[in-house]
Amino acid sequence: MTSIRPSQVARRSQLARRHIELGAEFERSGGQIVVKNYGSQTEVAQAKELGLADLSTLPRTGFKGAGAPDWAQAQGATLPQQPNTSAVQNDSSLVAKLSHQELLILSDLNAKSTQIELLDNSSIAAQTYALPRADSHCWLAVTGNQAAEMFSKICAVDLRAHKFVNGEIAQTSVAKANAIVIRHDLGSTHCFYVLTDVSVAEFLWDCLLDAMAEYSGKPVGVAALRALG
Amino acid sequence: MKQRLPAPYGSLINRDAPVSFRFERKSYQGFAGDSIASALAANQQWLLSRSFKYHRPRGALTMAGQDANTMVQLPSNPNALADRELISDNLDVMGQNYSGSLNTDHGALLGLFSRFLPVGFYYKAFFKPRGMWEKWAPLIRKKAGLGVINQQLEPDYYDKQYKFFDVVVVGAGPAGMQAALSAAVEGCEVLLVDENPLLGGSLNYARFDAEGVRGQQLREQLIQKVDANNNITCMTDAVCNAWFADNWLPIIRYKRLYKVRAKQTILCTGALEQQAIFHNNDLPGVMMSSAAQRLIHLYAVRPGRAAVIVTGNNDGYANALDLLDAGVEVRAIVDLREQPASNPMIDAAVARGIRIETGHAVYEAHKARNHLSAVEIRKIIIPGICADSGEVIPCDLLCMAVGYTPTYQLVCQAGGQLSYDDDSAMFTLDNCPEAMQIAGSVNSHWDLDTCLAEASRAAMIATNALGLTHAHVPAQIARESVSPNHPWPIFAHTGGKEFVDYDEDLTIADIINATRDGYEHIQLVKRYSTCGMGPSQGRHSALAAARLVAAATNRTVAQTGVTTARPPFAPEHLGHSAGRSFYPARRSNMHYRHLEAGAQMLQAGAWYRPAFYGPADNSQNCINAEVVNVRNNVGLVDVSTLGGIDVRGPDAAEFLNRFYTFGFVKQPVGKARYALLTNEGGVVIDDGVACRFNRDHYYVTATTGGVDRVYQSMLKWNAQWRLDIDIANVTSAYCGVNIAGPKAREVLAKLCTDVDLSNELFPYMGVREGTVAGIAARLIRVGFVGELGYEIHVPQHSGEALWDAIMDAGQQQGIRPFGIEAQRVLRLEKGHIIIGQDTDAMSNPMEVQMGWAVSRNKPFFVGGRTISELEKKPQLRRLVGFVVNDPQAPIPKESHLVLNGAQMTGRVTSCQYSPTLQKPIGLAYVVPDSAQTGSSIIIKSTGGVPVTAVVVKLPFYDPDTLRQEL
Repeated sequence: MTSIRPSQVARRSQLARRHIELGAEFERSGGQIVVKNYGSQTEVAQAKELGLADLSTLPRTGFKGAGAPDWAQAQGATLPQQPNTSAVQNDSSLVAKLSHQELLILSDLNAKSTQIELLDNSSIAAQTYALPRADSHCWLAVTGNQAAEMFSKICAVDLRAHKFVNGEIAQTSVAKANAIVIRHDLGSTHCFYVLTDVSVAEFLWDCLLDAMAEYSGKPVGVAALRALG
Repeated sequence: MKQRLPAPYGSLINRDAPVSFRFERKSYQGFAGDSIASALAANQQWLLSRSFKYHRPRGALTMAGQDANTMVQLPSNPNALADRELISDNLDVMGQNYSGSLNTDHGALLGLFSRFLPVGFYYKAFFKPRGMWEKWAPLIRKKAGLGVINQQLEPDYYDKQYKFFDVVVVGAGPAGMQAALSAAVEGCEVLLVDENPLLGGSLNYARFDAEGVRGQQLREQLIQKVDANNNITCMTDAVCNAWFADNWLPIIRYKRLYKVRAKQTILCTGALEQQAIFHNNDLPGVMMSSAAQRLIHLYAVRPGRAAVIVTGNNDGYANALDLLDAGVEVRAIVDLREQPASNPMIDAAVARGIRIETGHAVYEAHKARNHLSAVEIRKIIIPGICADSGEVIPCDLLCMAVGYTPTYQLVCQAGGQLSYDDDSAMFTLDNCPEAMQIAGSVNSHWDLDTCLAEASRAAMIATNALGLTHAHVPAQIARESVSPNHPWPIFAHTGGKEFVDYDEDLTIADIINATRDGYEHIQLVKRYSTCGMGPSQGRHSALAAARLVAAATNRTVAQTGVTTARPPFAPEHLGHSAGRSFYPARRSNMHYRHLEAGAQMLQAGAWYRPAFYGPADNSQNCINAEVVNVRNNVGLVDVSTLGGIDVRGPDAAEFLNRFYTFGFVKQPVGKARYALLTNEGGVVIDDGVACRFNRDHYYVTATTGGVDRVYQSMLKWNAQWRLDIDIANVTSAYCGVNIAGPKAREVLAKLCTDVDLSNELFPYMGVREGTVAGIAARLIRVGFVGELGYEIHVPQHSGEALWDAIMDAGQQQGIRPFGIEAQRVLRLEKGHIIIGQDTDAMSNPMEVQMGWAVSRNKPFFVGGRTISELEKKPQLRRLVGFVVNDPQAPIPKESHLVLNGAQMTGRVTSCQYSPTLQKPIGLAYVVPDSAQTGSSIIIKSTGGVPVTAVVVKLPFYDPDTLRQEL
């Protein structure tokens, strides 16, 4: 059996080399290559405590403009009421409302959501503009009981569970990098999606691992995240 | 070790964990939990260091880390506070600021010349004659400063953390613990901070009743409740080092700086005991009464064998009782008060047979072997003046209990006003911000029950403000009528050496002389004398200095005031401020391909970019080879860092027409147009190309360093214009390469089959959308480097795959990557400017030969009005191309001056050796008279060597642009 390598496809995470160095096992998911695991038998337990996963190759898209909310709803998306909140869709994708006129749509962890493809392929309405969110931002997930405590070392927003509820969004700075932080719990495990400018992905990855070391946090694969959900 | 008192004395030490360390190269033993000072005290080593100016012997003063007398040298850092720093196995500790040995310091001879070193000495001595300071400065600087920095040491790991609380209580004494409890039971998330290792504050060491049981009982009760309350987070060994706006509190604990946000702050910071001021009041063995109590109760160390207590309040009597209990012989209590009111503490002291001398003062202390050996007490005639003779009492310990100042620093940083009542010698703090309360001795409450009640009251105000309670707040409890502060514990001596400021060795005469030199304001006294400017920041000098200045200037202390308390409260390591630094360096998706190809990377703004490929010590050859390969074959350069902005919508063309200098309304779809950006002052600030992919969609490039500013500027302008467009900065969403050279089309054709690449159907400045190596791509036919070239922009995550595909496809054509250094040479040969390098904050389009990129036929563009006015005026300078024909001449560099005789008339902005022209070429600003083709200019090169250059017509290479239009 030939092992799956990021170089087998054109679309490669900026963090691909970090994953290879860490001994990652890759898998194909929705046509993309993601880290399945890092070879540890305890990654689920790790993710429950403090884990870091790279979801950058999974599908996502974005739209903005005065016509974007109505247009997205017309395509079947369920939008959150308030900006800086998110709503899980029927196909398990996530619609994050970044402002009254801006939406970010993230795939589910299996890349099986149909919503993103539907939106990307639909005719755009007036005053609706697609954004290349799949490439402008990297997409990381920080999971576990210690996640909020760890974040307090690198982010000035209070992300503790009782202050930053599930579905809430903070557009802020993480380790001095502009970031969109979305709380999207996986089952009963706290999970924060972090999207930052893709060009600083490696910087942020290293910063997060450094901050996580105090709490024995480690990288985990997408398989562990799926097990939580 | 054998000096230790039995348990329960020694609440901080673990007697089961002995620790060995060295001081002045001699081995000592202490226990885990011991500070350096307490462990040395247990071994009868009282001398810790030498003073800053006169090298006087100094020992423990406060045992609370509040003074500079205990500063010692550690291997990792100087100026460690020996009464704060814990011992550890094999720790090497040295004293500081001595020459010879700590015991026999030659520098102490300076004290003999103290009369020749008056306050303001530097100002007076070294300003005249002119030039004298330069002679003195090296000597002074050599003497100045304390301790030695270990420059070989690897810095420790410091970091920062944010914390959020409803209420932060600073100070975990009785008031602090009570305030925390009262707030927590109402549902507040409370942080209780204390700089000491134990909760309890003064309850850990002070005596609150004659029997000595109340403090311990109350401490246990409060701690039990605090421990049981889940709403309270305790942070001991943590110093709240400042107060900033909106209750932003930097709290330092070990190697971490906590950035704490509090909705409400309650300061229970307590009070700092003050010294009596008399001759030799700085000798080891002379200490605050609270320091002696700390040694006894916290460290089980007997602070001396035979003690005298000088006091102005009843705490001195409590101190005497503690000393007696600890087995110290108390030879006398010297009470400054003539007739102290009856008090159980005094009664107890009398009952235990302690000699009490009221209306007396300690006039001077005597020294033997660098330690206190006796004190002379004298009758007080009038405040501050003693009888001509007195009695000498041998002793090795003198405890001072003459009053307190509130620990007001944080309150005052928050805008609080410190006031002083001259009649009662009482301090008050007013004008605290709404979200700040104070309670306890910092608010001049001394009775324990009153402190607890006031703390509950402060918490009630806080919880009311948070909307958690709506309780009626009772009136503030009146302060006790009698202050523990003696109004004048200051006794001048004919021999001086009555220290007001231990840090800076300042005496009574120094403070008074400062006022006589004309510096009467307390702030001027501080700056002239340096009083309060040492490490302890006036904790023990501010009040005494204020009293002396008040007396010397016939004002009250209230009128005189104290100096401003600024952050930080306590000295902090630079590491705490620096912490773990974040620098979000940016990398393109092709980053590792550059490294694998041997690139020497450099940082351009936040981006890592390949400078050139090859060994660092062979840079020029590598760059030249890359240039030659582009000119003759084909090269590939990573241009992912270039800015990219999507401007979309029905008004996109109109927007660009207003934003950039050129005309864009009639720009055909499928074409790119040069886009020059000026600001309202007509100054060139950026450039790029605007690619029209369809009627309503422009993709505009911008410079690497300028794109964020361009994007922000676009948003700003359209906020005014309200055109129907969307502006999106998509810089990071795309990776880009420029494949350039006569064989570029040949290589690209192997990978791009859905776009006709022929010159006819995809001409110069054309733009297309298609696929390259199966990757969706935006293709722009540009000529920045002056050859046939295509910029290919693809989704970011596919950048590496694109790079690989082109490098593979171009092998047969001799493709090789080139870096930005080669790109700079190539563009210079083509005469293209780089904004920011060839322009400055004054450059207008005409000066830089960009007048062709300015449309005069449109009604408006940003900077247009200014440019039209500038065009009516004669040019003052012009950017021209030049060549250096003399092969022996040094190559000029950027910023070298263009001279006309001795007059500076311009400067070089770019200059490189051109492998194509085989000579140095460059751009320079020159005066219009020298701008004509063929003019000679003189450039002052490295070392002042004049280089003759000749002005030439741009571009240097391919003037008919045949190469890029192949």
